[in-house]
This record gives sequence, structure tokens and C-alpha cells, in this order.
Amino acid sequence: MKIFNLLILIFISQFLTAQPNCEVYKFSGDTLKYKACKKAMEVSGHYQFSKEYQTILDEAIKIDPTFDYAYWAKSIAYLKSGDFITWKTLIDKAVELNPKEHLGYRGWCRYQFFRDYKGAIADIEKLDSLVTYDIGQSQNGTYHLNIAKGLCYKALGENEKATTIIENQIQLNEEENFVGAYDYLHLGVMYLEAKEWKKAFEAFHKQSEYNELAENQYYLALTFKAMGNLTDYKSCLEKAKQLYLKGSKMFGPYSDPIDKIYLETIEREFKAINRPD
Amino acid sequence: MKNSLIALTALGVLLSCRFDHGSEKEAPYLRWVGDIEHNNAIDKVAFTICNGEEQVFQYFNIGEGPVYKNEKPTILNTFHSQYKSVEDTNQNGLIRIRFIVNCQGQAGRFRLIQSDNDYQPFEFDKYITTQLLEITKRIKGWQILYKDGVAVDYYMYLIFKIKNGKLIEILP
Repeated sequence: MKIFNLLILIFISQFLTAQPNCEVYKFSGDTLKYKACKKAMEVSGHYQFSKEYQTILDEAIKIDPTFDYAYWAKSIAYLKSGDFITWKTLIDKAVELNPKEHLGYRGWCRYQFFRDYKGAIADIEKLDSLVTYDIGQSQNGTYHLNIAKGLCYKALGENEKATTIIENQIQLNEEENFVGAYDYLHLGVMYLEAKEWKKAFEAFHKQSEYNELAENQYYLALTFKAMGNLTDYKSCLEKAKQLYLKGSKMFGPYSDPIDKIYLETIEREFKAINRPD
Repeated sequence: MKNSLIALTALGVLLSCRFDHGSEKEAPYLRWVGDIEHNNAIDKVAFTICNGEEQVFQYFNIGEGPVYKNEKPTILNTFHSQYKSVEDTNQNGLIRIRFIVNCQGQAGRFRLIQSDNDYQPFEFDKYITTQLLEITKRIKGWQILYKDGVAVDYYMYLIFKIKNGKLIEILP
């Protein structure tokens, strides 16, 4: 059973890794990159962390040291194991060789894994300056990269700039009918912090309709509290707790998302209600 | 600290070998990237893993994200209440402490890497790294993770963001 589990992991990981089309290199006459690409494709069936996977990619790099995909693919296991030094060395090489392909990924990872807000902004803005097309989503698909950029600006204290970036991107996302799972929630929290209660209500209401979360009810409760509506404040806190215990809460497979709450966060508010002034 | 520096140096050598295409030298990978072998010199003999070296997972393999016993605020409170800041504008960057949590929720084989904010190897003041390592080692009872009802061994890590000697963030 244990071996089976590991095989399942290996199987799943293959679908999480975008693979290049080697034939493109062949048709463009780049035979060295074609050979490196074919070699790299031998990782199929091997787990990203395994020595087989890493060794095959080393061989691909030997064939063509300018094959960016191999550096990127190698970097993933180091990223996920928290080895930021080796990860950065590898991903920098991939970015150097093919910035348009890897800048967005590196920027997202700097935010998601290391809360490197300035680095993430620099990468995402650099990518934006290099391309004329939509810079696209984060690697895990949770956010448009501009939403991630907005969250980074917020973390750096540039709240107004962050709000504008996220408002604009949500508008574009709505036009594409592709709103991120936590987009309205983050925007609502920004309005709440800016004391723009009406806008906060609207954002949390949209989040409720789109993807109800414990966090959404929690921050909605804080908005009611700020407005002096203690009845709805308590009611939303109760809902937040129920949703949390049911598992309807923010989730990140590798790290906790910004604005995530915990059971303790909700319980602290309950204690505040019962505490005499 | 000395071991960490040696490990970092060795890593640098390994990477340079991998990128040196004129070299025949190959990187001696272990089973998985980041695997930590028992080292008699620094690891407690009493710490054992339950299901064998070949069956140690990564925390995220279980699909529950980073999971902490009594949730993350407990970990945050532990460090923020025990860590004593160093007022030093030269102490900036990232510190990662990685370890194995066994099927009983015990932790062992702690390893540390350090970088500046540009992800370049950097040696923090020992007062900082020793504190973080000792606090991590003192934490009793990590979350026990299960796969198909079986308690597993897994790799876990904590990343500490340090700014001017202060602990400003704990990840993941």
C-alpha cells in the first residue's frame, strides 16, 4: 500500500508539470535542443524529487546547457523542500535563458513559498513589460498574477495601489468569467481595512455567492462589528465557525494563503464578545 | 553551524559540478532531493523513523497543506514568545530548519540553511540560529499525518524571515 501511495504521487506529479513540445525544436532546426528535450521527457513516470528524475535532467543539460526547461524542472523539488538557495540558482538559470516563460513562475513562487514581496513584484512587472499578451495565472491557478502582485503591494503597506490593482484585475476576470477562488475575499478585506464598509459588504457578498468560506464570514463579521451591528456580527461568527469545522476554508497545498484564519482566530472573537467591557 | 556551512559548501560544489559540462563528476543524489541521512555526530540515536528510510514523505504529499498540531498560531506563539531579537541591521534573510516528523509526532534530524534576501548563502549571528534551532527542537508533539489510516514519517520545515535581527514571518 505504501509503495502504491508513492506511485500515485509520482503519477499525479506528472500532470502538474507542463511539458514542452520537443517537435517544435526539431522543426525549427535546433537539433541539440531537440535531443535535450527528448532526453528530458524520459522523466515521465519518475517523481520530481527522485534521483532518477534529477539525473535525467542533468543529462539533458549536458546535451544542451541552454535548455531552460531542464533547469526549471529540476528546481521544483528544491523549491518544495524549502531549499531556497539551490532553487534560486536553478530557476535563475531558467529565467536567464527564457525570461518570458519563467518570470511569472519565479515571481509567483517568491510570493507563495517565501513571502518575498519585492522580488515577486519585480518578476511579475518585468514579465508584464516583456510581453503584449495576458501574463496569466499563478502556477497553481488560484490567482491571476496581477492579483498576486496586488497582495504583495498590500503586504508592503501600499494599500491604495494594491486595491486598484486587484479591482482592475477582478473586473477583467469577471469579463472573462474567470474570477479566482479568493479574489473577492481579498478585496473585501482591503475595503474593510480601509473602512469602506459598503464596498466591503459587496465584495464579501460576491464571495459568498461564488465560493463561501469561513474567512469570508469572519471578515464579514468584523465589518458588522465595525458598523455597530452586533447581532449580525455574532451570526456571521457562528457561520464562520461552522464553515471552518466543515472544512470550507482557505487552503494552500504548500503554504497558508494571505488572509487565512484559524479556529483560534474565531474563538478569540467569541471570547471578546463575552468579555465584559 | 559548522555542519550547516559544510553542507552549504558541499551543495555549492555539487551544483557547480552539475553545471560544469566538461566534468565527468556526477551529483550523488539520495533517494529524493532533500533526504536527510542519520548522522551520529549531530542526531539523537533515540530518534527513529517508523516505516523505513524509503517511505519518508514530504508534508505536502498528504494533500492537507502544512499542518501543525493545534494549528499554526500555536507555532507562531511559541516562536514569538521565546525568540529574543537581536538589534542588528546586518541580520537579514531567510533561515530554514528542516527535519523529519515520525509516526509518533516526534521530530529529529534537524538541518539548517541560511541565505540573505537575495537567496545567497549567508551566515547569521549564531545567537539567532541557535535560538531558532533550540526552540524548534523543544516543540513537543508535531502533527501525526496518516496515509490510508497508517501513521507516516514525513519531512517538515520551518522558514524564518529575519529583518534587522527580528523574526518577522514564519512559513509555510
